Amino acid sequence: MKEYNVSKKIKTILHTFILLFFSFLFIIPFYIMFVMGTHYTEDIFKGMVLLPGKYLFININTVLKSGFLIFLVNSAYVSVITTCISVFVSSMAGYALAKYDFKLRKAMFYFIIITMMIPPHLGLIGYIIEMRYMGMTNTHIPLIVTYAASAFGVFWMTQYLRSAVPKEIIESARIDGCNEFIIFIKIVFPCIKPAIAALSMLIFLWSWNNYLLPLIILNRPNLFTIPVGIARLGSLYHVDYAAKIEGLAIGTLPLIIVFLFSSKHFIRGFTAGAIKG
Amino acid sequence: MKYNRRIAEINKWPYIFILPYFLIYFIFRLYPILYSFFLSFVKWDGIGKKEFVGLRNFIQLFTTDPYFLKSMKNTMILMLEYIPLVLVLGLLLAVALYSRYIRFSKGFRFAYFLPYITTPVAIGIIFALLFDWSTGLINKLIIHFGWSVDGINWLGEPFLARLVVGFMLVWKYTGYAMMLYLAGLANIPNELYESAWIDGASFRHTFFKITIPLLKPIILFLVITFTIGGFQLFDEPKLLLSGWATQGGYIGGPERSCLTAVWNIYDTTFGTYMKYGYGAAICYSLFIFILIFSFLSMKIMRIEKE
Repeated sequence: MKEYNVSKKIKTILHTFILLFFSFLFIIPFYIMFVMGTHYTEDIFKGMVLLPGKYLFININTVLKSGFLIFLVNSAYVSVITTCISVFVSSMAGYALAKYDFKLRKAMFYFIIITMMIPPHLGLIGYIIEMRYMGMTNTHIPLIVTYAASAFGVFWMTQYLRSAVPKEIIESARIDGCNEFIIFIKIVFPCIKPAIAALSMLIFLWSWNNYLLPLIILNRPNLFTIPVGIARLGSLYHVDYAAKIEGLAIGTLPLIIVFLFSSKHFIRGFTAGAIKG
Repeated sequence: MKYNRRIAEINKWPYIFILPYFLIYFIFRLYPILYSFFLSFVKWDGIGKKEFVGLRNFIQLFTTDPYFLKSMKNTMILMLEYIPLVLVLGLLLAVALYSRYIRFSKGFRFAYFLPYITTPVAIGIIFALLFDWSTGLINKLIIHFGWSVDGINWLGEPFLARLVVGFMLVWKYTGYAMMLYLAGLANIPNELYESAWIDGASFRHTFFKITIPLLKPIILFLVITFTIGGFQLFDEPKLLLSGWATQGGYIGGPERSCLTAVWNIYDTTFGTYMKYGYGAAICYSLFIFILIFSFLSMKIMRIEKE
């Protein structure tokens, strides 16, 4: 029995060591980025920078002066509006598919599943032309409506709603004379909060990280979102290399912080598709 | 009578609830897809008149176009570099982490998953910083240890550039694969392992006879999503090779060795050229490739199951 425990202990130590080694590998690029952003440009060129330097605030200052903050504001409001609209539209559609019996229900559900398989780039060029005709280039609207109708969102909400809200509650609210929309807002919505949290995280992340669409749609720097902003940093101030890196670090940080506080919802959102699907 | 009216009233509600979705979907998703389909049969620079050319765009793609087939080949090489490694490494990490004796498992999960949620653009740039010829840490270390006098031109050689892209994608996706494996492992009943141990089965035995077969759905899901996702590669390679750090950028990396399918679409339509009809034809050809490959990977996984 004792021998068994010893071998178990060795195994645990070995596992921990391997895991530590890999987490080191996964974290180190971030670390290097943050460290490089705290140095003076010449030091980065001359030597190896492994420890934080003293130029953090000077670099931050340079970044802020270049109008980097506006990218953050743009990204934040585009992603929040996108998330709200998309989650609301998805949960309404999911509610209809999960809790009502109507003629086209099955056909609609299959349609949504099939559209889930279509890669997002298939309609890209048509979408850009459409947006040009509608006069929406150099606005944030194309970035928002592209996620407003999310097939995955509807699928996810339908699956959750099927088991989440008992039919009896809805029925009794109906007998009390509640309007269907009021039932949805007052009774159903509170019941599906976990699903909403997970879906919100996913859509927020997709919207925040989107690069291709804003790259094509936006060409005024004051409209840029974070990904286009940091990509463009490369050419914005050629000289101050360290400040550029600090800009990159500042642009990366918000998402890390959001993830830190809501990793549970994130992970549930990401894994649910595989387990159920 | 009144009750019947109430029922009729209720029956129209599902349509009201689902209407916004389909309205938005038809206008902003389905219409662009159909419009792109139409565009793939015309020649159009976005300003002048559209000229109907039939299948000529597609014929050109597969015969004289120097970049389309190359971009497909590049994408597949990159996928072969990172997908198998991610599948294996993710599984090993998940199994190591799943043991209940590991402490700080939440911290480990966070560390592994972090690259996956990081903005892809930032990932490309971070690796451009690391592998930069003159300022990158990798080359500084190589010179420091005296393995090379003036470092290695990681992002300037076709073979090495592809290697760096593959490495970057392994770094990005391993945590995601691990997370899905962990969710799958949690669904395997513990009794299976216990009874196998009682029968004297070794770890290796349970791993190959219990863990892997029961994780098959997860593996299938990962293979398919990675296959579909692999054909969408754009942000990370583009930013890695577009010269964000000190090294000059080129379209598609050195000798276009890392020109991915979507990068090719971008460059044809919104970058170097403005060939909208031709770009749409690339989109549809890519879609056909994706269909074939996800079908194939599904088939292969099914056969292995039997």
